[in-house]
Amino acid sequence: MKTSKKKIWIGCGIFCVLSALLSSWYAVAYNDSRLVVPMDFKDYVFDIKDLPMIVSIFLVCVYLAALFVMLFIHGGKKRRQAKETDVTRKINPKLGCLGVLGFLGFAGFWTYPVDGTVFPFAFFLFFGFFGFYYEGKMSGTFMDERFRENIVRAKLKAYRITFGVMHAALIILCQGKLFGNLEYTLIAAIISLSLALGLGIFLSEYLLYRYDHDDQAEEGGE
Amino acid sequence: MAEFECRLKMYRQMKDLTQEQLAEKVGVRRETIMRLEKAQYNPSLKLAVDISRAVEAPIEEIFVFQ
Repeated sequence: MKTSKKKIWIGCGIFCVLSALLSSWYAVAYNDSRLVVPMDFKDYVFDIKDLPMIVSIFLVCVYLAALFVMLFIHGGKKRRQAKETDVTRKINPKLGCLGVLGFLGFAGFWTYPVDGTVFPFAFFLFFGFFGFYYEGKMSGTFMDERFRENIVRAKLKAYRITFGVMHAALIILCQGKLFGNLEYTLIAAIISLSLALGLGIFLSEYLLYRYDHDDQAEEGGE
Repeated sequence: MAEFECRLKMYRQMKDLTQEQLAEKVGVRRETIMRLEKAQYNPSLKLAVDISRAVEAPIEEIFVFQ
C-alpha cells in the first residue's frame, strides 16, 4: 500500500477515535451519560443531544467495516502477487512476537472462577503466531519446484502432528468427567484444541524453514 | 524415491556454466541445482527437459536410473 493511502487510513482512524472520545465527553458532561453507560433500549426515545454519540458510533462502525474490507482486498492482492512472481510474501520476522499473545490464554484461569467466562482459553491459539518469525526469515524467497515440494511436505507433517495431538486429547477427554466436573473437561478440550491448532500453525512454518535451511547448510557453494 | 545417478555436473562444466547461471536458465534456485548434482532431488519432467535443453544433452544421459 502506498504511503499516502496509509496516511489517509491512519488519519481517518484518528478522526473516528477523536470523534468517539469527544461525543462520549459531550454525553457524559451534557446528556446524563446517555448511550455511554448501559441503558435499556426498550424505552429509548430519540433526543437531539444523542446525535453526536450516534454519529460517532456510526463513523467508527463504517471505518471498521471499510478497514476489514480493505484488509481482505489487500490480502487477496498480495496472494495474487505472490502467485504471479513466484516469491514468498514479505513480512517482518518481528511479527513473530505476536505469539506472545498466546499467554492471554492464561487469562481464562482468572476469568473462569470470576464469571464463568471460558473464551480466553482459546487465545492459546495465538502461540502459533511465533511461526511468523520463520516465515519472515524466508521472506522474498524464490519458490521453485523443490521449495513448493517442501511447503507441501512441511504442511503435511504439521497437519499429521496436529491431528494426532487432537485425536489423543479427545480420546483422553472423552473417557469421562475430568476431576468429576464436566465443565473442567470442556475447558481442557478448549485448551488442548487451541494449543494443537497453534502448534499446527507454528509447525508448518518452522518445518518449512528447517527443510530449506538444512538443505542449504549441507550444501557447498560453487 | 528412485535411485539415480546424475551427471549434470559434468555436462554443466562442459558448457562452462556455473550453478547460478544454470539455475537462472531453468528457473530454479541454485540450491536445487546442487541437490540435483548430488542426486538428492528427483526433478519434475519439465525441469529435467529444461536442464537437458540448457546443457544440450539428452535427458537419459544426464539422469541415469538404475
